[in-house]
Amino acid sequence: MATVTNWIDHLNKPAEEVVGAVYPGAGSSEGLLVILGIVLWIGWHILTARQESEKLEKISRKRRGANDYKSNIANW
Amino acid sequence: MTDQLSALTTIFTEFYYWVTVVLMFLIHVGFCMYEVGASRYKHHQHTLMKNTMLIPLVTVTWFFFGWWIYWAFPTGPGIAPSIMNESTALITDESAFSATWYTATSELMAINLNDHISGVFWAAFLLFSWTAASIVSGAIIERITTFAFGILAIAIGSVFWTIDAAWGWHFDGWMLKILGYHDAYASGVIHAIAGGFALGVLMVLGPRIGKFSSSGEPRNIGPRNPWLVTVGLFLIYTGFWGFYAACNIPIFDLGPEYGMEGVTFWTATNIYVTPTTLSGITFNFLMSLSGGLLAGYWIAKGDPFWTYSSGLAGVICASAGNDLYHPIQSMIIGMIGVVIAYKLHYWVERKFKIDDAVGAVAVHGYAGFVGLVICGFVLNGYPSSGYSVGAMWDGTTYATINPLGQFLGAIIMFVVLGLIPGYVIAKVLNGMGKLRIPREVELAGLDYEIMEADKDAEKAVSSATR
Repeated sequence: MATVTNWIDHLNKPAEEVVGAVYPGAGSSEGLLVILGIVLWIGWHILTARQESEKLEKISRKRRGANDYKSNIANW
Repeated sequence: MTDQLSALTTIFTEFYYWVTVVLMFLIHVGFCMYEVGASRYKHHQHTLMKNTMLIPLVTVTWFFFGWWIYWAFPTGPGIAPSIMNESTALITDESAFSATWYTATSELMAINLNDHISGVFWAAFLLFSWTAASIVSGAIIERITTFAFGILAIAIGSVFWTIDAAWGWHFDGWMLKILGYHDAYASGVIHAIAGGFALGVLMVLGPRIGKFSSSGEPRNIGPRNPWLVTVGLFLIYTGFWGFYAACNIPIFDLGPEYGMEGVTFWTATNIYVTPTTLSGITFNFLMSLSGGLLAGYWIAKGDPFWTYSSGLAGVICASAGNDLYHPIQSMIIGMIGVVIAYKLHYWVERKFKIDDAVGAVAVHGYAGFVGLVICGFVLNGYPSSGYSVGAMWDGTTYATINPLGQFLGAIIMFVVLGLIPGYVIAKVLNGMGKLRIPREVELAGLDYEIMEADKDAEKAVSSATR
């Protein structure tokens, strides 16, 4: 996976010929990483949308009044 | 970088943008403080998290496709040919500055020893994207779901603003060529579009419960924490300064860039690669801020919320031409923008029952729109680009700045890319039942459960003896 294993070997040539991309898997893993990133992004929306719906449903079930929250203020 | 001078120039430019990004982070800190200060106690934590989560959502989508759109779309596509390849297609060939450099799989979208600019330039634009989404966030507090806001934030932050930037904020953009569009510090490309988008969402979302009486009279739901609002707006001012710097190229030799043989002219330039100076825009930033504050204090009769917001609106209004205005022109333009934005805010609120909780549509949308129009008159006849000068509608050359072009540009920003997409996406989300929180939750407070748990925890702690 290491793209560079010896900095002297890597940089020991004219500057314009030095290979710039030095992250692990350079040149071979970018496509896979992007797919993984997109799956994580979309997955996050799905998971958190579900969480939010449950939370909203739970609060709305009890039909509290507009001032009920005042009895919950804890930072006296 | 094979010699010391080119290394210094490159690494100075890299560091310059890096610093602007750090400064611009303060805009978001300010927006978070401001929104929490403007919201009611029972919604505080939800309001904070909604605005905070736009950071990762816009960032990852900006990485996946937002940055690519900016480089691909300057031609429309299909509206005016690129000066790089003379084609009207998406710029995805092997041209210099092709969008192919910035696909998410590109080796330039990572640590690359041969590229010191892509990441910091990507980040500077990304911070503009956060700002666009955050402007929308403030207007719709206390009644939108986080899910819906996330989708809307991605739409404005990683799609619609980047299309407008490609069209009107890129040296090769079709709006410069066809219309002579000029918007150096983003009156339109950030502020008018975000204000328009927020208005489109508000039209579907509706007002907060209790905002309007049964006879339709608006009620004031003022900021609950004026100090948080105050510090927030000061931080936004500070970050906005970084934004101004980020809209410039700090050091550039325009002689060879414009094809002038034997001419060397080192200068800072705006985003269109036409000359300006950091020194000059510092005059204008502060004078337009002052104009906004002076006018805001007067028109709002000393109301602190509007006075602070008016400082911002003053800068926003003058921003389109702040690369060239005289400082007193900037000040006056800032004042005009504030008066119009303030008046329009209350007129729209009463007439259309629009509940813009923080005045975002006015401060960003109306002031930005007005700023573009004024710029067309004050800078009438200036070139919109250094590469060529031509007639309006021609498309192969760059039209000069003019009132009609700026007015049409303002319509494109506020209505075409702002209001209409905001309205349509909000309609779709509303149709899915995902846009607005239930009425019971709005009344009880989005933080009800967290507060109840905190109270129980506090009871247990306070009754403990050891």
